[in-house]
Amino acid sequence: MSARTPLSAIALVSPVQLMIGGIIFLPAIYVFWLSLNQSSFGQAASFVGFANYAKVLGDAYFWKALLNTVIVVAVVVHVELLLGLGMALFFASGVPLRALLLAIVLAPYAVSEVSAVVMWRFLFEPDVGMMSRLLMSLGLPPIEWAVNPSHGLAMVSLLSIWLHLPFSFIILYAARLSIPSDLYEAAAIDGASPWISFRRITLPLLMPALLIAALFRYIFAFRLFSEVWLMTGGGPARSTEVMAVYLYLEAFRYNAFGPAAATGWLLVLASLLLALFYLRGLYREMFGKHA
Amino acid sequence: MPKLSLPTLLRHLLKLVGVAAIVAWSLVPIGLIAMSSFKADRDIFSTGSTFSFAPTLANYQALWSRWGDFFFGLWNSFLVTVGATVLAVGVSLLAGFAYSRFASKGLQASAFFLIFIRLIPPIVITLPLFPVVNWLGLNDTHFVLIVLYATFFVSLGTVVMRTFIDQIPRELDEAAMMDGASQFQIIMRVILPMAAQGMLAVSVFVIVYAWNEFLFAFIFTTTKAKTAPLVISEMIGAVEGVEWGVLFAASTVQLVPVLAFVILMQKHLVAGLTAGAVKG
Repeated sequence: MSARTPLSAIALVSPVQLMIGGIIFLPAIYVFWLSLNQSSFGQAASFVGFANYAKVLGDAYFWKALLNTVIVVAVVVHVELLLGLGMALFFASGVPLRALLLAIVLAPYAVSEVSAVVMWRFLFEPDVGMMSRLLMSLGLPPIEWAVNPSHGLAMVSLLSIWLHLPFSFIILYAARLSIPSDLYEAAAIDGASPWISFRRITLPLLMPALLIAALFRYIFAFRLFSEVWLMTGGGPARSTEVMAVYLYLEAFRYNAFGPAAATGWLLVLASLLLALFYLRGLYREMFGKHA
Repeated sequence: MPKLSLPTLLRHLLKLVGVAAIVAWSLVPIGLIAMSSFKADRDIFSTGSTFSFAPTLANYQALWSRWGDFFFGLWNSFLVTVGATVLAVGVSLLAGFAYSRFASKGLQASAFFLIFIRLIPPIVITLPLFPVVNWLGLNDTHFVLIVLYATFFVSLGTVVMRTFIDQIPRELDEAAMMDGASQFQIIMRVILPMAAQGMLAVSVFVIVYAWNEFLFAFIFTTTKAKTAPLVISEMIGAVEGVEWGVLFAASTVQLVPVLAFVILMQKHLVAGLTAGAVKG
């Protein structure tokens, strides 16, 4: 391995690095500076230290948004992984018309958040939606997603799981397919029950893929915006806001760029914290013993 | 025909139930709005059978006559999607080649930076970009969305391209180099044709993302460059109450091309996901 980077390699990676650096990295750094200042539209910024963080952390709506985010992320990611795992094992056990069924499972990946909201709102439209009528005929109370905050968040979670299940499923299915089948044959010869082979072979060998899928989904679910914005708008009375919605409202409705920037940095820090293990592993892998 | 024992029969039955559940979960929401887009208003929420109705194009006509904006939005979505895809695939190809063929501490650090940066939530960067974009007079242009969409996919794009280019034997570029080809010529003549698979995989991601994206379009466009998802969101939020039929027609028109595309490109999507997410 040469220590110096050839010029042509620098030229080849520079467009990507310029885009990433100029459009994501520098602005993110600038957001940190913004978070230490009081500023708004057309108003010069003045340094206020960590006052914006104090303001955000003292805002009950922020804590509500944080709590909502944590609940939704926990529900969405875990239910999704469980469903994805179940489906991956189901597929691996052999299904009829596999290629067609795979295409069907992938279908929600093509759906925009906007269209997904249209679909699920229609299904759960109070009194008239198909699911609402089904619930009624079962003697269950309807889902009042527009009035009841916990119902609103449940709808958001359902919608989010539906949209992202193809991702979790594919990662786990690919990992399951890469487990050599002779392991299962050997286990069967030794008289292992399906449960034992799941515990001793499938689960440990799927663990890396499960962790990666979980990590990606944690990070992406944490920035959840569109589903909530389009489904409830954060209402009623700001009760279903998540972090990204809180940030958006602070910045673009209340013109409070400082608190919005502070929220943004809290989001970045949370994502970093979630990804710490993955990044450490990645760093070790790339830089070897020197890490 | 072999005789079926009761447990085998039961297993087959369970499997069928599983298949039915998966199909229903994935397709009912999509199928329902596609079907309802051909229903007259009174049939949409009718308590009668879901399947028996007189199909009508009234919703599509209403969409055309009253929401002309939507078709303009589709055109904008198309332009932005094509632009973002070309940009993202092009720069990812170059960077993927560099990461596959050269190795140095500096390059490794820059690769780490590329992946690390994916952790930053998109909404965070709208705060500083919004005033800058305004100041540059680029607000409400296709350009802004193209650059933003491409940027958020070049990390994944580069990782996927690198994985695919790693599989192309180095002897091929060395032979071309002997014949006096430049670095750029090697990429264009040798790598590009053989990395087409990877480029398709990256394209699938960018196309699906750019065609469906809502947040950036919501913040950075208002009239001239607003995309189809944005127009649909305006329909959802209409003050006079939601016109479900028209909404279904719009959602169906927006959904069908990308759905067909994903089904067609299934293999590349799966290959890209596994190359990008598991290895990167």
